[in-house]
Formats: sequence, structure tokens, C-alpha cells
Amino acid sequence: MNRCGCWKTSFVTQYSLKQEKLLSKTWYSPSLTRLRSRRTRRFLTFATLLSSPHSDKVNSLHCPVNREDFPILHQTIENGKLVYLDSAATSQKPLVVLEALRNYYLHNNANVHRGAHTLSARATEAYERARQTLQHFIGAESREQVIFTRNATEAINLVAYAWGLDNLKPGDELILATSNHHSNIVPWQLIASRTGAVLKYVVLDSQQQDSLESFKSLLESGKVRLVACSHVSNVLGFINDIKQITQWAHSAGALVLVDACQSVPHMPVNVVDLDCDFLVASGHKMCGPTGIGFLYGKESLLENMSPFLGGGEMIAEVYEDYSTFSVLPHKLEAGTPAIAEAVGLGAAVEYLQEIGLDVIHSYEKCLSEYLYRHLKDIPNITIYGPQDITKRVGLCCFNIKGIHASDLAAVLDLEGVAIRSGHHCAQLLHRSLGISGSARASLYMYNTKEEIDSFMGSLYRSIDILKR
Amino acid sequence: MALSFLSRVSSQLCRIPKTIESQSIQFNKRLYHEKVVDHYENPRNVGSLDKNDKYVGTGLVGAPACGDVMKLQIRVDETGKIVESRFKTFGCGSAIASSSYATELIKGKTLEQAGQIRNREIAEELKLPPVKLHCSMLAEDAIKAAIKDLEKKQKECK
Repeated sequence: MNRCGCWKTSFVTQYSLKQEKLLSKTWYSPSLTRLRSRRTRRFLTFATLLSSPHSDKVNSLHCPVNREDFPILHQTIENGKLVYLDSAATSQKPLVVLEALRNYYLHNNANVHRGAHTLSARATEAYERARQTLQHFIGAESREQVIFTRNATEAINLVAYAWGLDNLKPGDELILATSNHHSNIVPWQLIASRTGAVLKYVVLDSQQQDSLESFKSLLESGKVRLVACSHVSNVLGFINDIKQITQWAHSAGALVLVDACQSVPHMPVNVVDLDCDFLVASGHKMCGPTGIGFLYGKESLLENMSPFLGGGEMIAEVYEDYSTFSVLPHKLEAGTPAIAEAVGLGAAVEYLQEIGLDVIHSYEKCLSEYLYRHLKDIPNITIYGPQDITKRVGLCCFNIKGIHASDLAAVLDLEGVAIRSGHHCAQLLHRSLGISGSARASLYMYNTKEEIDSFMGSLYRSIDILKR
Repeated sequence: MALSFLSRVSSQLCRIPKTIESQSIQFNKRLYHEKVVDHYENPRNVGSLDKNDKYVGTGLVGAPACGDVMKLQIRVDETGKIVESRFKTFGCGSAIASSSYATELIKGKTLEQAGQIRNREIAEELKLPPVKLHCSMLAEDAIKAAIKDLEKKQKECK
């Protein structure tokens, strides 16, 4: 049965006829399938959109970025224009970031920190300026609290090994959440097996968010040393109340590590306001290049941490049987850093600040509401995470009954729509939801309402093919 | 899960699916070669055999990476030749195609011959892209698991 009444023949036949209307951006709600007149259907769809108060907001929505800044978005994939809905996996990079990388290698490339020559001074200055930009971006009190790493995964491993090995003893508890990304689970498992610490998991509540009650009750044991949770879930799309969790954790004598990969790129984040002890994020999810991320930590904690990786940069003096170590932040940054990438990340942060994280956040809220409401209309769809739209960010993980997420993503790709399928590095979560995988569409500030309309059209057509 | 899959497959088997003009369909060569589409639309040997039968071996394997599950069953005759096989798969199109093709591949072979089947034979036949190679691996594992189950049963019977 055709999902959309406008398609009189099967999708397959139309495809073989290579009709241009196949890639038409308009789509029709299933409730209108009985109507024969295309004009009437189009009018009524338009009218429905107009009639809701939300539609006024979304119709007047303007993308806060100039899409010309992102040349990669303007290409054709397979049979359609690229609609990139996988920013939760990695974001696209604006021209300023590409230019910063190029400029660094064209004019300023040298090794940092100890060179006597001008190029080295320029490279060092660019690298440290990027660190300072990041410091101000997250509201850290000093630049020594921002440690560059390869990505958030490495940052969490840094805390697990450099803090965990020294501070955890048998019987100590670590609180994680089943909704955590693997990067915020596996390092703790490795450390727990080495130190004898015990892992406890926060479960989901009835709204499929991390249960605050669960956090509270697990902290009551009095043995918790660290809580490691997400600020925003990359699958369920909820925002955790980090301030509350941190308050409870500190009262119980536990530290808090926040995985801010899905929050820092999309909304204002202030580490002093959150009062978290550690915060990690990846540069490539916030318009920066791959290969750079950072760890923020409270100064006293970072000061007392042993080094993570050993080598150059992080030492003061080296003797045959021991070495002394450098001050922060260098103590925790061994070897030649990803200098160009850090400079690129600095440029990305400046780009985001110029647009304004408030602006980005409110635009995405509106767009994500639009996406969620239209996804909900699809028959037999399950969208995971809270049903209250005000509690969601711009990503939706979903499954459609009878369709494998991987097949859906593959067929959508034929029309140029890029979504992700699988377990999204959250096997514990998928197991607790009783599913083997899901499809995920995630938005960023460069996505538009028209792209969501296009996605919905492609989605209905894909469902048609796969359910034939 | 398996029930919804089976009902979907059997409903496809009951009605004649719309013809796919494989030349005119520009299915992405990276992912859905016409052979995969064929096995997906017309899967061979879907179903179950009696797992308690001493001539039936059952292989049930799962892929942790994608959460897919494959059940492949074989029936042998007294000489040890595979005379019948059935599968049920919960997974993507490539997984269904791999297991469907696997049931065809092993028919008429001895257990030893079937045990020598490698995933690349399945992948090459179906022209699976690199991202779907693990589906053929799962099918190979399913064949081996079914053979192992049968050998275990036969040892216990003796």
C-alpha cells in the first residue's frame, strides 16, 4: 500500500522512469492519502501547517548561518541533493576553519613551546590563543584548566587512568548511566578491573531519560567516588540536569565528569555554573577538525593528577631512573600536540561565538520540534527519549516496525539523505530498550526546515519501498 | 521479533511482489546489488526444522556490532549429506540475503564441505560492499554453528 496518495504507481516504476517529481520536496501526510486532487492535497497540507501556532514560528525560521560557509553541504549524493542529518556523529566545518588550518600550515607551522625562532613563536602563540578561546567559551577560570586531547574519548581515558588509578580502591563505587556513550563506560570498566572499584548504573525513567531518582539513590551508599554522565544523550536526546546531579554528588563526596559532546556545540555551557569537576568534548562535533578535543578540570584536581602519557613536552627534568614533570596544562599533554587542529578548533569556537550559542540553541529547538512532530506522524514509528519536546534536543532516534534501521539508512542514502543507523556507541542503552539498533537523524545549525521536509518525503518513499 | 519478520517474509512469499526491473533500477551499487535484492525479495528456504530431530543441526548466531541474529538449520541424511536447510534472520537486507544464499550453497554438500565455506564466497556472490561484509561472516558462523550442533548430537547419540 502506498504511504503517500500522490504516488499513483509504485516508487519502483517511477524510479525507473526517472521522473523529476520523484525527488520532489513536497510530501503528504498519510491522513490525506484518500484525496485524489493533488492541488487540494497540497493546499490542505499547507493549510494544516499554517493553522498551528508552531507553524508560524517555523515558517519564519531563518537559518542563523550562511550555508555558503559550508561548501560540503552543496553536493549531490546518488540521486539527490545532500541532506546531512548526522551532525551528532560529526559536524561539517565552515570555511573559516578550513582557512585557519590552511593558513597555519602556509605561514605559521613549527613545533611549539620551546623553539627560539619566529615561526615557533607564532605557532605557540596560535596554539595557546586557541586554548584561551576555548577557556572563555566554556567559562573556565584559567587556561591551565583546558587540556587538549585527541577527542572526548581520550579525555575520559585521561581522567580514568591519571585520576582513577591513584584514587580508586577496592569497594569504591563509580556511577555511570546505561545511556552513556561507550567512551564514558569502557574506560571505567578497564579502571574498575584494575583497582577493584565497582560500577553502578543509573537506569532510565518512564520518560526514557536518566532517572534523577536513580542518581540520588545510588549516591546514598556513601562509597561513590565519581559520577560519569552525559550532558545530552546522543541517542535519547534528553538534557541532564547537571547542576542538580553535581550538587547531590558533591554532598555525597563524589566528583562529577560530564560528557558534553552533544551539548557544547549546541548550547551555552558554563563549567563554573555547572560546577562539574571534569568536562570533556570533541572538536569535530563542534565544527572543529578531527583529532582534537579537550578536557576541562578543576585546577586542584588536575594539579594532583599523575601524568597520563609520558614523553616530551610534559617533563621538566629527565634522569635515568626518574623524571620531574611540567606544570599544567603541559603535564597532561605529552608529545607534539595537534597544533593545526587546535588552531582550527579555536577558529570554530570563534565562529560559533559570532553566531551566538543562544541563537543556535533556540533555532535548533524550533527545528527539532518541527522534526519530532512530523516524525511522530509516521505510522508504526517509535521515537526514543522524552515525549516532552521541551526536554529534547535536535536529534531523534527511531525505529519503524518491520524495517531494519540499516536498510532504511541505505535506501535514504539513495536520495542523498544521510542518517545514522546502528547502536550509536550505546549498546547498553539499546539492550535496555530491547532493541538491536535504531536510526538517528540529528540536526545542527546549518540544517533548514526545507531539509527536514525533504527528509520526510524521502522517508515516506523509503518506507514504501521497504514495506512493499 | 522473529515473528514479525516471518510474517513479513511469508506475506511477501504469498503475494507476487512487484517486478523489479533490475537494469532500470539504479539501486546503489554500493549496497544493494540485484542479487541481494533478489534474495531479499524472494528469500529461499525460510522456516524451521525440528531442532530435536537427531539429523537436524541448529546454528544460532548473533552479531554484537549490529544486533542481527541468524538461525540456520541443516538436515542431513544417513550418509551425512545436507539434504535440507532452513533459515530465519533478523537483520538488514544483506544479512537476509547472506543467510538465504548460504542455505542454497550448503545443500548437497557433506558436513566437511559445508564447514569449508568461507564468508568471502558469500560476499563475492552477492557483491557485498565492505560495510556489509560482516553479514557474510555471520552466515559463515551460522553454518559452522549448525554443523557443530549436529556433530555434538551425533556424538551424544552414539
